[in-house]
Amino acid sequence: MKRLIYIAILGLTSMSCLRLDSFLYNSDTSISEYLLDDFDGETEIQVSDEYDIADSLVHLFTLNSNLDGDIASIYTIYVGDIGRISSDTVILYLHGNADHLDRYWPRIKLLANTGHKNRFGVFAVEYRGFGLSEGTPTEEGMYVDADAAMKWLKEQGLTDDRLVVYGFSLGSAPATELTANARTLQPSKLMLENPFASDEVMVEDASGLTLPGSYFSDLEIDNGDEIQKIEEPFFWMHGTSDAFLQIGTHGETIFKNYNGSYKEAHRIEGATHTNVPFVMGYETYLDAVEKFITRP
Amino acid sequence: MSANFGGAGIKYSGAPIPLTLTSINYQKGLDTNVTFTGSFHTTSAMFGVLQTDLGLGIQAYESTAEKFGVTISPMLNILYDIHENNLRLYPQLDATCWWQYGEKPHLFYGSVGTWVELQKAKAHLQIQDNELLPFVTVGHQFIGEKWDVQLELKYIGFQHDNRNVVVDFIGPSHYGSAGLFVGVGRRLSK
Repeated sequence: MKRLIYIAILGLTSMSCLRLDSFLYNSDTSISEYLLDDFDGETEIQVSDEYDIADSLVHLFTLNSNLDGDIASIYTIYVGDIGRISSDTVILYLHGNADHLDRYWPRIKLLANTGHKNRFGVFAVEYRGFGLSEGTPTEEGMYVDADAAMKWLKEQGLTDDRLVVYGFSLGSAPATELTANARTLQPSKLMLENPFASDEVMVEDASGLTLPGSYFSDLEIDNGDEIQKIEEPFFWMHGTSDAFLQIGTHGETIFKNYNGSYKEAHRIEGATHTNVPFVMGYETYLDAVEKFITRP
Repeated sequence: MSANFGGAGIKYSGAPIPLTLTSINYQKGLDTNVTFTGSFHTTSAMFGVLQTDLGLGIQAYESTAEKFGVTISPMLNILYDIHENNLRLYPQLDATCWWQYGEKPHLFYGSVGTWVELQKAKAHLQIQDNELLPFVTVGHQFIGEKWDVQLELKYIGFQHDNRNVVVDFIGPSHYGSAGLFVGVGRRLSK
């Protein structure tokens, strides 16, 4: 009997294959094409026609992204005049953990109205394993996919000083990582909406104890610490009613740990994880984004 | 020796379910007033976390007819993961009132207890202000010839507002988490 118990314990422990990492990537790969304005599935916000973008300024194309030899063809959308990237300021939009780019299209369109329509270029990346992008979602995969987008922007003539990175939710991980540890371009400003501090904070929130994240996942996303390396100006907005990433434990931690040159906070009363721009009011949201991007 | 499963109640895709945590438990009477108890948490093991709790059940009071008593249980919960070698220790103290009835005799009990947080800081050096994770329990143990069945309702962390938490815990007035635990045990010897 005792031997059986020892074998069972050793067996269970050596299996130890259960991890929750994949739950972080709530991707949808069932689509056969991107529908953008014609998409009638779930989106996080809806925007009216006044924020529509001319078809001629919407460029959907693929890039090759190389993760240690694993090359995936990933989808991207550039909103703006590609020929002006060498002189424009560009917002690199890194989306959250759900579905695919169609879900985030209203947000991308909205950002393309910052200042005035198409004042800034907006470039959105579909991570590997999301939507029509090839591959499987992984943490490092997100980083190399976002960096592949920066490589393309650099090839078009973008320089460090005109790159603003905007990370929403899960997108705060590649946004923070590639600002703290620049690879191809050093973003000049960092914007985070409802960011994720780390899997450890998620575990602490759920358990009420200081359990390490390693008890449940292999994720190394560590925005709460990585933010300390960032000198570039930082803009943070977070819904006070975010039930997925608590403002107090995720957002406030990141904001508090930032020690760079400039930071501003927008705590949006009553907003949830997904509707900060809507609750703020789109014009107020766009004004705040524009003021931050254009401040010297 | 017993096997236990159950856990905190959560809503998953809108449906209430218990977290399916499992463990095996061993108890041995050291003398008439002290029982050793130890558990190995099998669900944790499947995540690569060695979790065990070791402790004593000390008979603090027993009525002359042995129908009613109070047991104090100091315990230590030990968790260690094989991925990054993170160790956590959580002392635990329970006080249990029990009543025996019937010929078997079956057992009804209620207890209060708490895990104690020893860490002074949370992730990213944030202040740890949750020093206790208390719980209350009511349970019943059906005693058979050799097999026992235990049903237990537990209300955990009742001081914590469970809104705006990544897991949708089920708790009265949005506080804490209520859970159901089931145990099946076999007595190896009398």
